[in-house]
Amino acid sequence: MTLRDLVLVRLGVAINLVIGQIVAALLLPIYLDAVGTILVAALVGPRAAIAVGLVSQVLNAVISGNFSWLPFALVQVVIALYAAAAARLGLFRRLATAVPAGIGMGLLSAACSAPISYYLFGGVTVGGVTVVTTVLRALGAPLGVAVASASFATDLLDKAIACALVSVLLRSLPRTLAARFPALAR
Amino acid sequence: MIGYVPGRSPLHRAHPYTTLALAGALLLGAFALTQPLEVWLLVMAAAAFAAAGGVLRASARTALLLSLPIWVLLFVLHGLMGAEPRMVVGPVTLSVPGISRALVLGGRVTAIVLGFLTALATASPHRLVEAMTAGGVPFSRTFLLASTLTVLPRMRERATQILEAQQCRGLRLGGSPLARLRALGPLALPLVLGALAEVDEQVLALDARGAAGGARRTALDPPRDSAPQRALRWTVLALVVVAYAWKFWSMHR
Repeated sequence: MTLRDLVLVRLGVAINLVIGQIVAALLLPIYLDAVGTILVAALVGPRAAIAVGLVSQVLNAVISGNFSWLPFALVQVVIALYAAAAARLGLFRRLATAVPAGIGMGLLSAACSAPISYYLFGGVTVGGVTVVTTVLRALGAPLGVAVASASFATDLLDKAIACALVSVLLRSLPRTLAARFPALAR
Repeated sequence: MIGYVPGRSPLHRAHPYTTLALAGALLLGAFALTQPLEVWLLVMAAAAFAAAGGVLRASARTALLLSLPIWVLLFVLHGLMGAEPRMVVGPVTLSVPGISRALVLGGRVTAIVLGFLTALATASPHRLVEAMTAGGVPFSRTFLLASTLTVLPRMRERATQILEAQQCRGLRLGGSPLARLRALGPLALPLVLGALAEVDEQVLALDARGAAGGARRTALDPPRDSAPQRALRWTVLALVVVAYAWKFWSMHR
């Protein structure tokens, strides 16, 4: 990893954690905790993006004190790999392609996070997703179905917005700044 | 209490790798155990770990606060809405297998949180960096762990400044979810673009400090490791392997 990658990884981690703070201030029912991972995947590539995802997960645990969610680091790795592939295909160049790419990312990350949530935590993870799970369970859905439905509903919305935001960010980069990231030209 | 608390307990004096190995073993062990009694023995082990670090009261209080919402949700989702058979407890009927599962899942989270809060309270970040440097861990890894924590408060401060500046320009944070979503752009864009513009400056600063070279760095005051501590680390690793072997053997019996 070059020094530039290292600095970008640090920046990506900070973006992951701070955007979450902005989202909380706006009282939005989403997390946007992977914007830094997706951005670094588009700017540099998968290796640095995986580092962003893993370090974000560990630091989030250090800051919140709750290390139970460390198994969800796997989801960050999947997001990093998918985002790098999507960036290589140029899907973040336009909003019209970034949003479907985000929906695909949401499907993939929900497919990873739902089994972790169900088998390791019995469907109980703090946040809006557990509230949705509880409501669906109260309506009579079996626990597995409730956990999977809640994960897919929240992840689809969350990742579609995250990818749209990254697309807007990349298109807003001044040319002089964009020129410093050769991966963007591919 | 989340973070390092100075002290002179055996855990404070131990090599940071030993403390982290014990907390890591609690995490891995928690996912290997599936019976309420086993998990609650692990919670007792986590409490003993905290007591050895002299931080039992503070760690247990924070662990309780952090795991309380999870306990409440587990009680609702598994205790109240769980499968048959059910038992009557006062005004409510509770699921017997649901309560058993909630005890396992809640105990699991409590043991992990208590274990890592103790590790955070007793392993000094400075000593951990020194231990990693002395152990030949590449600069990039120590930099990522140690330096990202320092950049976070700066980014948070900048986010607050941008929020206030945009509000002065008339940005409204309330309204419908769509209106609030629209406010995300004017807040996130200046924050990220400003940070990206500083990347080259930071690369130069790191280069000037010799971070680019692959030369092994010298730790000024590395924590002392010892044969008993290394043996303890290998023992907990072996215990984790045994716990998983037991789990898979029980599943396929």
